[in-house]
Amino acid sequence: MSDGPLIVQSDKTLLLEVDHADAQACRMAIAPFAELERSPEHVHTYRLTPLGLWNARAAGHDAESVVDALIRFSRYPVPHALLVDVADTMDRYGRLQLVNHPQHGLVLRGLDRMVLIEVAKSKKLAGMLGGKLDDDTIVVHPSERGRLKQALLKLGWPAEDLAGYVDGEAHEIELAQDGWHLRSYQQEAVDGFWAGGSGVVVLPCGAGKTLVGAAAMATAKATTLILVTNTVAGRQWKRELVARTSLTEDEVGEYSGERKEIRPVTIATYQVLTARRGGAFTHLDLFGARDWGLVIYDEVHLLPAPIFRFTADLQARRRLGLTATLVREDGREGDVFSLIGPKRYDAPWKDIEAQGWIAPAECTEVRVTLTDDERMAYAVSESEDRYRVASTARTKLPVVKALVDRHAGEQVLVIASYIEQLHQLGEYLDAPIIEGSTTNKQREKLFDQFRSGELKTLVLSKVGNFSIDLPEAAVAIQVSGTFGSRQEEAQRLGRVLRPKSDGRQAHFYTVVSRDTIDTEYAAHRQRFLAEQGYAYTIVDADDVLA
Amino acid sequence: MATNLADQLRALPDEALGALLRLRPDLVVPVPSDLGALAARAQSRGSVARCLDSLDQFTLEILDAVRLSWDGERASEAAALALAGDTAAARAALDRLKARFLVYGAGGDLHVAGAVGEVTSPYPAGLGRPAEQLDARAAALAADPAKLRRTVLAAAAPARAVLDRLAAGPPLGAQTSAAMAEPVQWLVDNALLVRVAEGSRAPHPDGDLIELPREVGLLLRRDSGPLGELHPDPPAPETATRTQKAVDNAGAGQAMEAVRHTEALLDALTAEPATVLRSGGLGVRDLRRLARAVGLDDGPAALLLEVAAACGLLGETDAQPTARGVQASRALGAAEQVFLPTTGFDLWRAAGTARRWELLAQAWLAMTRQPGLVGQRDERDRPFNALAPELERAAAPQSRRELLGALGGLPKGAAPDTGGLLALLTWRAPRRARGREAAYRDTVTEAAVLGVTALGALTSYGRVLVAEADPDGDRDPLGIGPDGNRSPGGPSPAVAALDRLLPAPVDHVLVQADLSVVVPGPPEPELANELAAVAEQESAGGASVFRVTAAGVRRALDAGYSAGDLHTLFKRRSRTPVPQALTYLIDDVARRHGGLRVGGAGSYLRSDDEALVAQVFADARLGPLGLRRLAPTVLCTAYPSQRLLEALRDAGYAPVPEDAGGAVVLSRPKARRAPARMPALARLADPLTPTGLSGPRLAGVVEQIRKGDAAARTARRAPTTVRAASGGAVAGLTSVQAHSQALAVLQQAVRDKAQVWVGYVDAHGATLSRLVRPVSLGAGYLRAEDDRTETLHTFALHRITAAVLEE
Repeated sequence: MSDGPLIVQSDKTLLLEVDHADAQACRMAIAPFAELERSPEHVHTYRLTPLGLWNARAAGHDAESVVDALIRFSRYPVPHALLVDVADTMDRYGRLQLVNHPQHGLVLRGLDRMVLIEVAKSKKLAGMLGGKLDDDTIVVHPSERGRLKQALLKLGWPAEDLAGYVDGEAHEIELAQDGWHLRSYQQEAVDGFWAGGSGVVVLPCGAGKTLVGAAAMATAKATTLILVTNTVAGRQWKRELVARTSLTEDEVGEYSGERKEIRPVTIATYQVLTARRGGAFTHLDLFGARDWGLVIYDEVHLLPAPIFRFTADLQARRRLGLTATLVREDGREGDVFSLIGPKRYDAPWKDIEAQGWIAPAECTEVRVTLTDDERMAYAVSESEDRYRVASTARTKLPVVKALVDRHAGEQVLVIASYIEQLHQLGEYLDAPIIEGSTTNKQREKLFDQFRSGELKTLVLSKVGNFSIDLPEAAVAIQVSGTFGSRQEEAQRLGRVLRPKSDGRQAHFYTVVSRDTIDTEYAAHRQRFLAEQGYAYTIVDADDVLA
Repeated sequence: MATNLADQLRALPDEALGALLRLRPDLVVPVPSDLGALAARAQSRGSVARCLDSLDQFTLEILDAVRLSWDGERASEAAALALAGDTAAARAALDRLKARFLVYGAGGDLHVAGAVGEVTSPYPAGLGRPAEQLDARAAALAADPAKLRRTVLAAAAPARAVLDRLAAGPPLGAQTSAAMAEPVQWLVDNALLVRVAEGSRAPHPDGDLIELPREVGLLLRRDSGPLGELHPDPPAPETATRTQKAVDNAGAGQAMEAVRHTEALLDALTAEPATVLRSGGLGVRDLRRLARAVGLDDGPAALLLEVAAACGLLGETDAQPTARGVQASRALGAAEQVFLPTTGFDLWRAAGTARRWELLAQAWLAMTRQPGLVGQRDERDRPFNALAPELERAAAPQSRRELLGALGGLPKGAAPDTGGLLALLTWRAPRRARGREAAYRDTVTEAAVLGVTALGALTSYGRVLVAEADPDGDRDPLGIGPDGNRSPGGPSPAVAALDRLLPAPVDHVLVQADLSVVVPGPPEPELANELAAVAEQESAGGASVFRVTAAGVRRALDAGYSAGDLHTLFKRRSRTPVPQALTYLIDDVARRHGGLRVGGAGSYLRSDDEALVAQVFADARLGPLGLRRLAPTVLCTAYPSQRLLEALRDAGYAPVPEDAGGAVVLSRPKARRAPARMPALARLADPLTPTGLSGPRLAGVVEQIRKGDAAARTARRAPTTVRAASGGAVAGLTSVQAHSQALAVLQQAVRDKAQVWVGYVDAHGATLSRLVRPVSLGAGYLRAEDDRTETLHTFALHRITAAVLEE
């Protein structure tokens, strides 16, 4: 029995003891095939999933090396059945290949005839396959490449896609590294992505995902379509690209509700692409407007379902997904795997923090006690209103004010979800509000003032959840949210994780009403971050007010 | 000849006789009275067959050689050895046969034990009978070797193919396809083949049988030798070699899993017992439920349940008689049975992991059941259910020992492919291995699930276990009697070997901010209990992961822990600082715990007048009521409201009763009455009437009535002609149908496979009619099938009174 850092569980989770001397080596060994599920302070949990194992096969690891890594680092005997299962699962990958046939175009080739016969009979593949060329080869309709891969994955026989990628229209893009350099993990992420062809890079908020995108573009040197969540985020991308690469203002186009520019590098919003007129998606032509060499999906955890369908048609192009939290509340991680690609890079938040690339953050949960009137209002409210009643309690306002005052001189974001509460906060704190109805122009103006330090406090609605780059924001106060959403919590923390010029610590406060459903949702919301190793401190509102 | 063998046995020294008995232990069960009886038994079919079953392929081949050289009187040892190439191996094999007295004799003359010819193939070494026993023309050809050779050479390719196939054995063939007709006919015409009728049996359905005469076979076997290919050495299976350490590691991990899964399965069964099917066994749905509850596939779950049952951890018992459905079924005489863990389970559970594993593995080795059949279907297309009596296979323990023995015979860490291993077993005992392939394959799977083997090789502790269960083969010969219980003090060697590989129990945990609690190893029982009280288990295996939830904390508080106890528990057990989130969670739940109180009371007393309530509460006369103040305006007592009312009235208060809705209940005094009695008239009506029928008897009566009713209905449905013929009173049709007419109807019905109403007189002279489908008619009997009950009836023709085709 060795004294390794790893414990292999029979439900295929791997427990890694972080403080163990071999923990780092073990992490390197298991990262290629195991998915990091949680990384709290002492024991990180990885999980062996078919997706992860196939991922590893795609990256060139064989079952032998996986089994070897498990046995080498395991503290306790690893059950035989689990080893067999790993080998069996990995063996299923690549029995089928998607290849380009010189005469017939895209074909599905079976290295194992029985498997090919089995899948060809499946109803799930109806309409995707054409005629049989010989016993081992079936023609595939090129338009079905994505859907076929999706369906084969569901059948448990993932195909190895060897059909390659089109280069797309070449376009010279260079990184302009003057005075800054790509960080090592960013370079690793780009390399991992490029070697794999397509896939998803997971990095914490503020760790420079945009630069990973830019570096990927510089590697591809081809026309690029970038899909972002909203117009402000799109403009941020544009600013960043112009600053960090050889691209000029004119080469980058914006395709949004306001402007419809198609340039060598085009940034489009999800919203405009999924906009429908008379039931038809009117802006789909964008995907075919140029011979794109690279498609980047920003915030892939929010990718709307219709875009999955278009993405199925884009399988011949390189695709890069970027996200901080690959937690999809709709459970479509499998679709992300088969349509955009497997996870190519992932780093625990605390690791990046330890390297100083994101600001260390202190998370605090402030519990306020409702007044008797508020408690009564809460007690008699309808169940669908309870969260709103609890989270928008007026008692929270003085606490928020006290917190803002405590951090006088620092840039403070106050984030809430309910319009009424936003206005209360705006009045109470005497700060401007950005909400859904705020025009893009107004938003830009306020953000600019905030960045320059002219504005110290800003009240944000859900628009604050993602993709706004506010480097000097050091304090975020969350007053209400979208129920128990874990990724929202993480994204909001992300707003203050940009490293500060003076290395200051960031503060993330969440104000909750004690003994209400607000506390329960808060616990659920914190789970993702707790699993990333952020320990919340709980303080009483009275201590803040005192 | 028997006397001959008896004489030989008599001449043997004691040691040699002892050796025979050791080789054939069944000869002394029961102990024979004298050597004559011993000789007779040694030549009996059963004993000879049993002995042959244990012989390897090569020894059987040498036995064939002896049989081939048999000339009706004796066989020559030299000739037999010459057939086998006279190698040392052949001589050793012959010695083995002699030692078992399957072959005996002296001075170069050999006799074969009488029953050998009866229990083996009539074609030794796959050669046909000599030509002279078959056919004169063939004998003539065989007598002329040169002509024989010429004829064989003259055979065209298809004919030659037929010859080669028959020469490889068996020498008997059936002409199955038309394409073969011509070459076979040519061969028969040229006397190379002889058409045979197989004894007195009916002609072969595939056409005539053909036999290759021995001489022709020998000629065709020129290259391979007269006995065909010999197999003096056991086949070596293709093996992958693993280090014993890797094997032990994977095996120990699997052994832990097997123990843990068994425990989890039985726990799941405790939580929700599974009903015993009427045909015995566990339903598919229950099996699947249990399997899913512990995260196993059906197969391994069925195996572990079977092993648990064999180990005495799982048994059948009456269902709790509380359920109403069960009572109803019991009233009809069928008590429902359920599977539940036995008290043995609690004892087993208290033992260490290695010992628990040993008990399971020993039970598995000894159990006469084949769980691999679960999920398959029997010949009547009914599924095999786990724990069902149909899984009983007497040979199962032997199959397991043979396979594990073969595996143990290979070098340490050798992991043979299953096909090769089976080939080895087939060589070791071809007669026994026949039909056992499925059992062997199941054993391979089962051994892996239990962790006796891992990575395809035998584990070191598995080797010890197998050796213990089978100490140098000197166990009781018929496999009667369980083994085990050999070392009352101290762990057995297998337990000790496994224990060295298993992780030591830990007594501490790691608590994290996401409220997960990790036990980095198998928890000590005390720790496991503490955690089970307060947290939900999320993941099990080498370590356990628990998560503390509000519900769990509440459960612990309900069970009597205080918030302080829980804080201390985590502080004491955790190697890491207890996160603030956990402290808050415990305090939060504890603060709310008990905020609402629920209790029972016999009655209450309320008033808007607090002073009045206080006065009542303080009234000494009401002391016996045990009043308790719930609020300034509410008192309660354990006594019912009537008692409270009376006591209050006696004390001079003026209470008014109210109902559950709070409305005042008005009461007027009622005249008292004795309980109702039955009028004497009704009681005396019929003193002979039984007071009541008990359940089973009632069911019997009901069944009898229903049967009578059904018979009457059937009879009524029969056509009037049948009823008339049967003596039923139907106007206008009184004569018995002519017997010949009935026969004609029946004959027609047999041809058409039609249904017929048959009227007949049964053995008691009663006339009955029945709707049947005649199958055959002859020898004075009609055999017919009843479609409804699917039973075959036989009617004596002379008893049949009428037959009418069913419209």
